[in-house]
Amino acid sequence: MEAEQGEVVALLGPNGAGKTTTIRLLDGVLTPDRGTSRVLGLDPVTDGNGVRRRTGVLTEAGGLDDRLTLTENLVSHARIRGMGRAEADRRASEMLERFGMGSIAGRQARGLSTGERKRVSLARALLHHPDVLFLDEPTSGLDPAATRDVLDLIADLASEQGATVVLCTHFLAEASRLCRRVAILDRGRLLAFGRPADLAAGLWTGLPLDLELGAAADASLVSHLRSLRGVVSAASSEAGARVVVSGRDVVPAVVAATVTTETPVFSVVPRPPTLEDVYFALTGRTDAEP
Amino acid sequence: MKGRDWGAMFAIVSKDIGAVRRAKGVVLPMLLVPFVLLVVLPFGIGLAARSVHNADLGSVLAKLPGDLAAPIRRQPAKQQLVILVDGYLLAPLFLIVPLMVASVLAADAFAGEKERRTLEGLLHLPVSERDLFYAKVIGAWLPAVAVSWVGFVLFAVVANSTGWSIVHRIFVPTKLWIVMIFWLAPAVAAFGMGVMVRVSARARTAQEANQLGGAVILPLIFAAVAQSTGLLLVSLPVALAIGALVWLLAVILLARGASRFTRDRLAATM
Repeated sequence: MEAEQGEVVALLGPNGAGKTTTIRLLDGVLTPDRGTSRVLGLDPVTDGNGVRRRTGVLTEAGGLDDRLTLTENLVSHARIRGMGRAEADRRASEMLERFGMGSIAGRQARGLSTGERKRVSLARALLHHPDVLFLDEPTSGLDPAATRDVLDLIADLASEQGATVVLCTHFLAEASRLCRRVAILDRGRLLAFGRPADLAAGLWTGLPLDLELGAAADASLVSHLRSLRGVVSAASSEAGARVVVSGRDVVPAVVAATVTTETPVFSVVPRPPTLEDVYFALTGRTDAEP
Repeated sequence: MKGRDWGAMFAIVSKDIGAVRRAKGVVLPMLLVPFVLLVVLPFGIGLAARSVHNADLGSVLAKLPGDLAAPIRRQPAKQQLVILVDGYLLAPLFLIVPLMVASVLAADAFAGEKERRTLEGLLHLPVSERDLFYAKVIGAWLPAVAVSWVGFVLFAVVANSTGWSIVHRIFVPTKLWIVMIFWLAPAVAAFGMGVMVRVSARARTAQEANQLGGAVILPLIFAAVAQSTGLLLVSLPVALAIGALVWLLAVILLARGASRFTRDRLAATM
């Protein structure tokens, strides 16, 4: 798998898939048993500090020290990253303001809400203008409004600042919204990497259609539909039928064939496979079919 | 060998000390023991010595090594008790202070980072494992030595002022105290660090580390107590030699701790 500058790539997978481990490997925190990786052209195994100087990480726990103030949490990391005192203070102040935490910058981190902790942790990860940002479950525990804010911010970081973002998430909708390409992992293995549509094309042929007929299609209609040229499969569904055709050009023939059996057609809705369909098909967690 | 990143190390030391200062659960017990040992105890002894006129110290002085007993025997009889206790017997007991403070701070610096889930954030920073390790050691060792030294200054003030009416001169520090303060106390603090670094690698919380570390450190505390009650008395050369041995053990323990302090190992425990 690879990510280009300014791209947001999602690492998807169930618990224990290896998402966090992948981030640790890419940031040189863990040494791989085998295999190689390059981050910004650097080898995380041999030049871990070189990599970490140019990456920012939001860990799942956030990692704020409850005993320190918000400013101290940011300034200490900035100083460890080599910033001078004045620059560290200035950047910490800027970032806390940007994330709407400036008014409580002098408060200890103890007692912050989950959303506030995420925002401060994200501010800390961005202190040094990282070229690559690793975000481990950035929206877990956030309310819908805070989630939207964080997702907007991630999109801005990539599109406006050219940061490459590697996003670990459980939330497929989040990945669909932000990412052009996704990597699907399970039990430590990369199952697939690419655009969801391309991954779906590799899994299934044809375009699924939902035919709304007012009632489940009877066996004779299903059989008739299956016999049509360009129909890959047909099956009865609760409200009508689910038909997979080879392309959009087959849709009129399907409708015509249905109407000729004096079955009313209320609607025909194309249902291209979603990321969710791809995810569940690849991880085998359900018998998903688009 | 790559040079140290002193700036990053200083930042880590500052962060750790700043955080500990706000942790009442760490600071209070850390200051309470030195206060009792170095302020309350000499104060009580000073007051008691005023009311004792003819203490028979012959049997105790007979157990002392010659080079320690001789200067005490030369003093007037009524001064011998306070000089013996404040000047000599309490000196080894004082070693509990750097040992305990270093142990508590080391447990907080290493196991405590895991417990607070702040360790991973540190591992993702551009700082070498050695720099991170030494910064954390220094961040616990410096306060341990500082508390010991400040505690000793208080002790000297209390001992000399409460004993002034008997001795009529400044009698603390003695040579044994000087050795304890500048040679043994830093060594014992480093040794406590070395033990706790090893223990903290296995523990998931600071409390667990303190419990595990206590099994190692308690016998040493008992040895110090035994020494202070006259069971184990050392001469200056022996104290210097013990200090060298403790330093050697501390360096070995810390060097081994440093070699095991790798991101791979730490990440495995997160």
